[in-house]
Amino acid sequence: MRLTPATTLVLHALANGFSHGFDIVDVTQLPSGTVYPILRRLEGEGLVSASWEDHAIARGEQRPPRRYYELTEAGKGVLETALARHRVPRPIAARVRRLRPATSS
Amino acid sequence: MRSDPASRLALRIVRAVAVLVPAAARADWLREWEAELQHRSARLQRRSGPTWRTKMDLASRALGSLPDAAWIRRQFTADADAVHDAQYAFRLLVKAPGFTFVTLLVFATGIGAATAIVSVADVLFMRPLAVSEPDRVMTVWQYNRETGRGRLDVAPANAIDWVTRARSFVAAATADPFTFNLNFAGREPDYLTAARVSEQFFTVLGTRALHGRTFLPEEYRRGGGRVVMLSHALWANRFGRDPSIVGTTVRLDAGERCRVVGVLPPGVELRLFHESSGASRPETAVWMPKQGLEEGEPSLRVGGFWNVVGRLRPGVPVDQAQAELDVISAQLAREYPQTNARIGAEVVPLRVHLVGTLRDVLPLLLVAAALLLIVACANVANLLLARGAGRGREFAVRQALGASRIRLMRQMLVESLLLAVAGGSVGLVLARWTLDVIARLRPADVALLDHIPIDARAALIASGVTIAAALIAGLTPSLQLSRPAAVQALREGRSGSRRGVRGALVVVEVAAALVLAVGAGLLVRSFMLIQRVDPGFSREDISVIQLFASTRMDTPAKRIVFYQQLLDRIGAVRGVVAAGAVTSMPFGEARVIVRGPLTIAGRPPAASAEDALAYTTAVSGEYFQTMGVPLLAGRLFDRTDTATSRDVALVSRRAAQQFWRGGDPLGSKVRFRFYGRAYDAEVVGVVGDVRHEALDRAAAAEVFIPYAQSGSTGLSFVARTPRGAPPILQALKEQVWAIDSLQSIYSTARLEQLISKTLVGQRFNLFVLGGFALATLLLAAAGVYGVMSFSTSQRAREFGVRVALGATRRDIVRLVLGDGLHLAGFGVVIGALIALPLMRLLRGLLFGVTVTDPATFVVVGFVLVVVAAAACYVPARRALRVTPAEVLRLD
Repeated sequence: MRLTPATTLVLHALANGFSHGFDIVDVTQLPSGTVYPILRRLEGEGLVSASWEDHAIARGEQRPPRRYYELTEAGKGVLETALARHRVPRPIAARVRRLRPATSS
Repeated sequence: MRSDPASRLALRIVRAVAVLVPAAARADWLREWEAELQHRSARLQRRSGPTWRTKMDLASRALGSLPDAAWIRRQFTADADAVHDAQYAFRLLVKAPGFTFVTLLVFATGIGAATAIVSVADVLFMRPLAVSEPDRVMTVWQYNRETGRGRLDVAPANAIDWVTRARSFVAAATADPFTFNLNFAGREPDYLTAARVSEQFFTVLGTRALHGRTFLPEEYRRGGGRVVMLSHALWANRFGRDPSIVGTTVRLDAGERCRVVGVLPPGVELRLFHESSGASRPETAVWMPKQGLEEGEPSLRVGGFWNVVGRLRPGVPVDQAQAELDVISAQLAREYPQTNARIGAEVVPLRVHLVGTLRDVLPLLLVAAALLLIVACANVANLLLARGAGRGREFAVRQALGASRIRLMRQMLVESLLLAVAGGSVGLVLARWTLDVIARLRPADVALLDHIPIDARAALIASGVTIAAALIAGLTPSLQLSRPAAVQALREGRSGSRRGVRGALVVVEVAAALVLAVGAGLLVRSFMLIQRVDPGFSREDISVIQLFASTRMDTPAKRIVFYQQLLDRIGAVRGVVAAGAVTSMPFGEARVIVRGPLTIAGRPPAASAEDALAYTTAVSGEYFQTMGVPLLAGRLFDRTDTATSRDVALVSRRAAQQFWRGGDPLGSKVRFRFYGRAYDAEVVGVVGDVRHEALDRAAAAEVFIPYAQSGSTGLSFVARTPRGAPPILQALKEQVWAIDSLQSIYSTARLEQLISKTLVGQRFNLFVLGGFALATLLLAAAGVYGVMSFSTSQRAREFGVRVALGATRRDIVRLVLGDGLHLAGFGVVIGALIALPLMRLLRGLLFGVTVTDPATFVVVGFVLVVVAAAACYVPARRALRVTPAEVLRLD
């Protein structure tokens, strides 16, 4: 398991309730080409679970359903380790707090 | 929001990238990316609308799908290295946006332009026609042996003799045009071209009907019934593609009902009936059988308006048919020396005929495309060489860390390919645009260019050549890195010098740019000269409406009344200063061209039939005043010149010179025929010459008669409005329909538009060749800039030392500029040497300038040197920013 700074940022965003790929791109300010492979890797390692958004919501906004990602219990554990190793830069942490979705855990 | 181009582009990128994703995961992958992009674009739209920034953001996010797809692919495939190489290459290219952008642009321009032009050539020469064995189908035209002008419509009697005497054809036929009003309830009356064709016509083409049948042999006999075939376009546009139209009758002109026996397939475009001017009529919409000859046709050998087509016998080459027709024309010249002494026959394969005026330009465009491709290749090679050399240190380090040479080569290979594929894709988009522009600008006499598909082979070859150049250049640096050299590179921070090769490439680029720019320069000069030609009238502020009286106006008397009424109404329209009418509108499409022998009472006839010919034109109202044609002697027509008064005529200055040779034409009696009537008219005035067909064609001898003494069917009205006032075309139409709501209108236009239409060919050449020249010039400038900035950065140390030893800033700038200009100057000289013989290709396209016009060569050469100097100046400035201390500390 490689815990790079970028991986840490993605885990951090997920833990704060950012669950769609582009939302994570927005809040972490990482390129989409970096965020997605990380999500795939985390999913493959069982740290993140992915599922599709409810059709009803998507239909309300007239677009296809989005895929959303959540930290698993194992993932939450890894986040602790990651945060111990890499600090989340202050401006990013501030963004996360400011943009945090209403329904965050 | 889905229609917004930025999100469409983003979606397209993702869909293209999806190909990389293994099939098992593709559907879900694509769904996720599309959902994110659409959500995003919807949100951006709501918040601020699409701005530049949001568009770029969307596109860059979409591009992120590429690493994602590559990552997934890596999970599925064993070849992790290739994916890794691609990712590494991608990252490097993104990190050097300037280099990437320029390289992509170079790839795209080269591949795009070359593909577009070869696609045009391919459509014109290879595309299947709706004709069986098209290579055997010939068109035959008259040719004036004296003036050298060819592609002339054929006089009826000559056409008949050619068709009956020629043995080279299994079948030959004539076609003669006429026009008619098409009236439909609820639609503006329309004006269409029809053709009467002789019996073998459809055998010659080998074309079968799409619905119904072609004409039966008995339908070509006199009294064979009124039957027609419809063109595919007419059937589709006016009859809603209804196959049951076959067997019904349609009303083509007032009172005449015809039975439709068949519909022709699409693609029967023949561009018949040139009217000798190069401007062609609209495609034939209705076909009819020619039921016997009309009176006069078997003896009419002056003034051509027929067409002849023939199908060669199997195994008979075009030359043989041409030779036979030469013999037949020689026979006719002996039999009818008065009319046929100078008339030859010209056999032109149908396919060549359909290429129209592009025939002269196409080889030129192919040369231009080849030159552009060469410049693009040189540029790509240059850019990659420079980049490779700049990365000597990186390679040396990687090699020292254990990377094998194969691995390094592979890395370069992947990088070059990535660039080539991306550049090629942009190039294809560029080719599509270019082809659309070409289709829109095409000259009127060129068939088959309405839609040009991209030719896959051309695209492949163009991409292949460019990619090969990229690979060779891309691999060279990694091949050169033997170990000792690598050590050297590590120490010095640069690789061995490749300045010689790069210099040579710059010379090639500048030379090619010069060749194209000189060609474009010559076209620009001749276009400017041709537009300055005085047509003999003032072209501004004149609105024109062209009509043919419907068949209900079946006597000259009725037409004279109708047209006089119309002229009075037009003269009364608000804002009209002067109005008149004419049968042969200069630069008009619906010209009634009558050219026949003119004799002067009391003088012997002219030496040859050709010298005795004059155009005859009927005019009405204040035609000459409206057009601003000067009266040189005598008087103009007025209201006292009526159908019942004595015949009077005006002659043009040219006619006065040709027929009176310095004598005074006023008071002379002239004899000629116009619309079957013999005139014996007194010359009452002389007017200025007017050019009729094109600005680059001199005015011919012309005789004018009052329309009230003629009463022919077709007439064009001209109305002058005050300077700068808006044109009054709609008001003119309304005057016509106020008198007769069923009268169709051939066309309305401003006089300037009519003139401009005859320049379509020149403008087309100018735009296409000019575009190529500009693209090449930019590429060459990029090339000079690339080489100079690379070599200055390589020589930073040297400059530092020079400055330390007392060189001034001017010395350094002079050094860099001198180097660049040396190369550019060499390129200009070589380019000029190549251009001199090559410009002969342009000869037929120029007006008023010679192919070796020194002014153009000098100006273009100067421009190139200035561009090169500008391209060197930026690197020179950069070299100055380095202080000696900095440079010397580099060690």
